[in-house]
Amino acid sequence: MKHTIDARGLACPQPVILTRTGMKDHSEIEIIVDNETALENVKRLTESSGWDFEYSSSGDNFRINIRSKDIVSENLAGSKQTANSEKNDTIVVFSSDKMGSGDDDLGSILIKACINTITSLDTIPSKIIFYNSGVKLAAEESGVNDDLEFLHSKGTDILICGTCLNFYNISDKVKIGTISNMFDILTAMNNAANIIKP
Amino acid sequence: MNCNTDTLYFVALFPSVSHVMKAEKLLIAENLPIKIIPVPKIISSDCGVCIRFNFDISDRIKLILDQNFEGIEYRQL
Repeated sequence: MKHTIDARGLACPQPVILTRTGMKDHSEIEIIVDNETALENVKRLTESSGWDFEYSSSGDNFRINIRSKDIVSENLAGSKQTANSEKNDTIVVFSSDKMGSGDDDLGSILIKACINTITSLDTIPSKIIFYNSGVKLAAEESGVNDDLEFLHSKGTDILICGTCLNFYNISDKVKIGTISNMFDILTAMNNAANIIKP
Repeated sequence: MNCNTDTLYFVALFPSVSHVMKAEKLLIAENLPIKIIPVPKIISSDCGVCIRFNFDISDRIKLILDQNFEGIEYRQL
């Protein structure tokens, strides 16, 4: 029987957490959300888990229908690990727009040189994550956008905290990467073999 | 830069990182497109940062930097 999750009015990352919890016990779920970020987050979760995803919009709401490809509910952990082992499993986490602590002006010079240097590493990271003031680095005039575009073109996923973009009021200045949430960010960090935190 | 090998780049090398920080502010205030990068290993093995810019704005950059600093070296990449 189809399971229904009403995630309207819930803040990120609740809709995606509820969906993931539901996926453990059900093979077919309808999720109702009221914003596009939640829609995208649920879409990524289901796709990375190998589920079918479709949705329809009515007014301000989106009705999402997801279905396990194996009718018997599959274990999610297994399929995730396969996806991760394809690439170098290092991720880089920018929790600030400065490198290290001490002098802020020095820190902002260093972080630019740092991101430029990532483009020259033998193996590039599988993911780069930005949160708190780190999200400012992903904005257009940060001075490192060409480096991020280069890394993105080579297959690095760029995850940017949506809450943080809203807080710093720069959502419209970020043209690269994926607007992400606490759940996806923690999942990526949890699955990584190495985390670099400049 | 790795993604574009056709562009002709210069770097300005400074006596210290404090000079780089001050120069970056000056050049950004002039709306000049510059980029902070580590000093390329072919130039120096020391840990350091420098300012990279395109050939087409090199005259303007050199003018501003030479007015404000002493001891800057320019290299073509």
